[in-house]
Amino acid sequence: MRPMVRLLAAVAAMATLGAANPEREFDLPTYTGAYQPQNVDERGMWMVDDESERLTRDSRLVIRDEALNNYVHSVLCRAVGNDRCGGVRIYILRVPVFNANMSPNGTMRVYSGLLLRMRNEAELASILGHEFAHFEMRHSLDEFRRKRSTSDLLAWTAVLGTLAATYGGGSTQSYGDFRISVYGALFRFSRDQEREADILGFSYMAEAKYRPSAASEVWRSAMNEADATSTGRALRGQRYDKTAFFATHPTNLERADYLSALANRVPGGEYEGRNAYQAALAPWLDQFLEDQIKLNDFAGTEYLITRLGAEEWTAPLLLARAELYRLRANPRDLPNAVEFYRQALTLNPDLPTAYRGMGLSLMRMDRKSEATPSLSRYLELKPDALDADMIRSLVAPQ
Amino acid sequence: MLKSLLKPVLLISAAAALTAPAALSANDLIKSGETVAVAKSTLSITPPRDWNKLSARPGKKAETWTLDGEQLNDISFYSDIAPGEPLLRERSKKRDPLPKLRSNSLLTDVPEFLEGTYRAHFGIAVFSLGASKPTKFLNEPAIQFTYEYVTPDELTRRGEAIAVLRSGKLFMITYDAPKLHFFERNIEDYRAVVASAKIA
Ligand SMILES: [Zn+2]
Repeated sequence: MRPMVRLLAAVAAMATLGAANPEREFDLPTYTGAYQPQNVDERGMWMVDDESERLTRDSRLVIRDEALNNYVHSVLCRAVGNDRCGGVRIYILRVPVFNANMSPNGTMRVYSGLLLRMRNEAELASILGHEFAHFEMRHSLDEFRRKRSTSDLLAWTAVLGTLAATYGGGSTQSYGDFRISVYGALFRFSRDQEREADILGFSYMAEAKYRPSAASEVWRSAMNEADATSTGRALRGQRYDKTAFFATHPTNLERADYLSALANRVPGGEYEGRNAYQAALAPWLDQFLEDQIKLNDFAGTEYLITRLGAEEWTAPLLLARAELYRLRANPRDLPNAVEFYRQALTLNPDLPTAYRGMGLSLMRMDRKSEATPSLSRYLELKPDALDADMIRSLVAPQ
Repeated sequence: MLKSLLKPVLLISAAAALTAPAALSANDLIKSGETVAVAKSTLSITPPRDWNKLSARPGKKAETWTLDGEQLNDISFYSDIAPGEPLLRERSKKRDPLPKLRSNSLLTDVPEFLEGTYRAHFGIAVFSLGASKPTKFLNEPAIQFTYEYVTPDELTRRGEAIAVLRSGKLFMITYDAPKLHFFERNIEDYRAVVASAKIA
């Protein structure tokens, strides 16, 4: 059976649960190699894509840490196999949103907000695999051909050029409004394409022996986080297209269910890679958490920190949670912040930021005598802190 | 003050050649030596040189001046920001809420308040606060601080600000300019504006 036919068959099988041969459902199709542009339009699109990649490569937002890049690339290779991953160029962008994408010329963009949200290697592999599946099945090219019939190449070039010129080619203008994401508008996959990518994604997971349920868990948690953000902002309805990733990968509650059902049927491994993942992310964790906290999305951030903390409340997570509460600073937030700082310091007494935050929180609660020792400790640990003079002015007797 | 980030996109997509800042209208001229009230408040400035006032206000209680064009060397005035209020006008109160000043906010909270506002409003991923130190502003204990950030056009910008809380209300003047060339060139013009500030 041709790969596409088998995929479609698998999709059909999903509807009639178990009707297809369950042993073959998640077999990997033969990889035909990277696709090359076939006609003048596609060559035009490739040129624009190459230019977009060049701008991404030079972007100030690219995280150039070799160890982190090697690790993410190795996860893609483990997920989709060495014959598939070889030509892929991955760019990790410091942008605090849940997103990743792959364009037709083989460029994969991975956002720091995605890395922050993954609990283990299996979860990351499921997202990278899903992106690669769209690429292998040339979904964005189908979309290009479809839209090409109603608009001319120049218009496409203008839009892709714009995309390339902003934030390393692929981010959005405002974290808050993903409707204006050019990428989302261009490469919004259809529901059928999503199903195809989900199935091929599970096939990679099975082949690589990753725990398949990681895939459904990561999608569900991203949807839950979007719900938390909406609830926190008193927005009505379950809308997922405000999340960058879902702007290109349309989703709904039914999808979370069918992913779980699929995950249960996928044969395969138990490999999760939690330790390897956390070790690779460790040097960047504090930075990514800080970028997230400062998005002013209290409820969504609280959801994601709690999800990460459910596995283990580490000092960095407790510190981040404390900072989140302190920065919102509703009257009831400040005592909570103080408690989280205290817990973080119990695990790691050498966190200057925790003493600072605890002292500032107590100061705002009019508990200056308790605040002073904390702030003094901060100054002892970091006498040259950039805000040392200001903090000293708080501690000094008035 | 930066404009909404949608704007650069529209400019670029219209045509690369159209990215020059729009010409400044003569009506908006702030003449040197003349005392003007800023941001619809009792805060007044007597600038030692001419400035251009932008017609678009970044917030209800805010106003921006520039020398050479928006985003090249901007001074923004924020006046009388009360607890519960954001620094800038929110695009959408529900969908894109901005940080709010709190009744228990301290001077030490002001840099983070500005940082949170910039990150959320302008979609800035890379932002770092520089040094802060105590100073005097409008005859009261105040904070002076610096910051640096990368805008979506991939330019690094620097900022310097001075702020005071008077009965819990925030008064602040900021200076934002590209790090390369512009920041150093006009920082003293900004400081001269700050030095001329008075409040009724
Ligand atoms: Zn997808």
